[in-house]
Amino acid sequence: MAGQNSFLHVARPLGPAAIGSQPTTAPLNVVIQPQALFSILDHSLRRNADQERVIGTLLGVRSEDGSEVEIRNCYAVGHSETVEQVEVDMDYHKNMLALHLKANPREILIGWYATSNELNTFSALIQNFYSSQGDGTFPHPAVHLTLSTTPGRDIEARTYISAPVGVTPERASDSCLFIPVPYEIKYGDAEKSGLELISGAKDREDRTAGVVTDIEALERAIEEVLGLLDRVSNYVNSVLDEEAPPSNALGQFLLNALALAPKVDAADIERDFNNHIQDVLVVSYLSNTIRTQIDLSNRLATAALTTGAGDGLGSSGGGGGEGGQKGGREQRGGKGRGQQREREPREPREPREPREPREPREPRESREN
Amino acid sequence: MAEILKESPLKSVQVEALVVMKIIKHCSQTFPTTATGSLVGMDVNGVLQVTNSFPFPAVEVPSVDSHHDSNSATNAAAAAPRAKANTVYQSDMIKYLREVNVDANNVGWYTSANMGNFVNANVVENQYFYQKEMNERTVALVHDVSRSSQGSLSLRAFRLSPSFMAAFKEGKFTTESLQKSNLTYRDILVELPLTIHNSHLLTSFLHQLPSKPPSGPLDFPASLASLKSDPNAPQPPLYPNYDSLDLSIDPFLEKTCDLLLDSIETHYTELNNHQYYQRQLAREQAKITAWQQKRKAENATRAAAKQPPLPEDEWTRLFKLPQEPSRLEGLLNSRQVEQYARQVDGFTASISGKMFAVKSNLLPGDGQQ
Repeated sequence: MAGQNSFLHVARPLGPAAIGSQPTTAPLNVVIQPQALFSILDHSLRRNADQERVIGTLLGVRSEDGSEVEIRNCYAVGHSETVEQVEVDMDYHKNMLALHLKANPREILIGWYATSNELNTFSALIQNFYSSQGDGTFPHPAVHLTLSTTPGRDIEARTYISAPVGVTPERASDSCLFIPVPYEIKYGDAEKSGLELISGAKDREDRTAGVVTDIEALERAIEEVLGLLDRVSNYVNSVLDEEAPPSNALGQFLLNALALAPKVDAADIERDFNNHIQDVLVVSYLSNTIRTQIDLSNRLATAALTTGAGDGLGSSGGGGGEGGQKGGREQRGGKGRGQQREREPREPREPREPREPREPREPRESREN
Repeated sequence: MAEILKESPLKSVQVEALVVMKIIKHCSQTFPTTATGSLVGMDVNGVLQVTNSFPFPAVEVPSVDSHHDSNSATNAAAAAPRAKANTVYQSDMIKYLREVNVDANNVGWYTSANMGNFVNANVVENQYFYQKEMNERTVALVHDVSRSSQGSLSLRAFRLSPSFMAAFKEGKFTTESLQKSNLTYRDILVELPLTIHNSHLLTSFLHQLPSKPPSGPLDFPASLASLKSDPNAPQPPLYPNYDSLDLSIDPFLEKTCDLLLDSIETHYTELNNHQYYQRQLAREQAKITAWQQKRKAENATRAAAKQPPLPEDEWTRLFKLPQEPSRLEGLLNSRQVEQYARQVDGFTASISGKMFAVKSNLLPGDGQQ
């Protein structure tokens, strides 16, 4: 991926354009979302043993003016390649496209991918199909994404669009000029937490990772930051001891970072901290109480009946048994109501608490327990 | 819990990174509407491997954006996994996936959640539908979009417990049946341990994404500006995720508290319903007892007058006992309350840690006292 920033297109490479229409020359930029890449890698693993590469269709969104293309999704398409000919399952492609568009109506056909860096005649043939009129991406150029999956090498992605080249008419369908275009891999905030978990497993032998709780994630992040801070302070110390060479730029940078710490009054901090921590603790205490109460309520809902039914068995008539049961239930209902009443006055306060000045009653309450 | 796990044919769930990314993408795209989709994979010695997934078709939202309409759209999406049209879609999709060597077994479904509000009748019905229909080795994956956005990924796997399956099959959730089956709200859903699994290719790819800063010494930057614009400066790594150090966690806590209060409200309504039923029952039973006593006295006088006694069980025809309301809503709600309470616990745990960190950062030296 080293070369991904080394493109210079003063004007956007021209794709095939309809005669008479004014082709745009704005630069084209391709954004790839990680799940599309993951999907391609998965497909590459599931190829048949005799297949050199596999191909599939890319789906995504294109900006209004067509200058930015975002690859969001993709699906595999079966194909077979021999020395002389290539066969792509077009029916499959069309059916899958229809199914995918049903689930993601906003996504459109963007282009296709292949899991090898090689560009050959067959690539041109397939590329011409994907950018053709009708089923293809015409009038926009189809994007071709290659992802090398050679074992032992870096996984390298490249994106191309194509332009027709001047050859004889009979060879026009299987030749085109692939023009590399820049791309970037982008992930949103929502994906970040997923990627964190996934990349947490990258250094492990078994390539698996468990889901961690929030507090564990926090601990790990803090440990990591402490490590980084240690490293910086070590460096600063060794500069002070004249063991390491100093650097003005680094000094300035550190000074700027340290200057970001807000200047606040210690008493204010103390007060705000105490207020807030009390709020948080009370909320935690209340939620635990609620949990216990719910548990109790549910237990009473069935437990009270046990004694009721026992009484019922003791008495003779059917009506008497029902009566005993009724007594048991009545008792349960009463408890349930009592529990509600006891909790009621506290409830409305909860959501407001973080912003409210503390009343002296509640901290005492939490200490009692 | 351990016992239930032993009975269940599945011991744990292993999710491919691809599936994680696909679920995250789908769920965050449709947020806050519920998103659902299907999972494919296979089960190996009690470990359910989820290797691919696809979303269910989006529900056409009517252009009228009144509140009521958006509600019905949410419901339609939540009910999608058991809708008839989607069964067809699902089998079509699986048929096509089989052609490109994807594991073609349906192993469950996934849904999105907002702050843990996933314990509802829809989820239970969907999972019941899957667990009943298929070879019963199916799971429900729940991805919590809002929780994932503020820290570590929240993805959990659930199954219905066998005892709940039996009770749900009968469709009876009366106090009596609950008592007999010993079913409590804790036993509705069984959570399975979940791990993430990466393929070799993916591991190789992940090593090219931003990771920890290099540990060796680097060249010194010439100036502050060059340090800031240095393209080789390490980006924040994906793992550990520094986002979990974010301090603004209060909104999440507040939201959870609000939801918790709503659930308690529902609980209260349920209790009221039950009490109403009990009062009704008591009234009817009082009437029956009065009638029986009257009949007995009548019979005594008739016996004294040497007349044949009147039948004593006619009351079954004369009086009708009210139907006991189903306890299912109450049970699910209790489970939901428990879920919220635990969530509050988790939030308060990390928030208090962060607060102490902030305090000692702003008041250095205070910690030593």
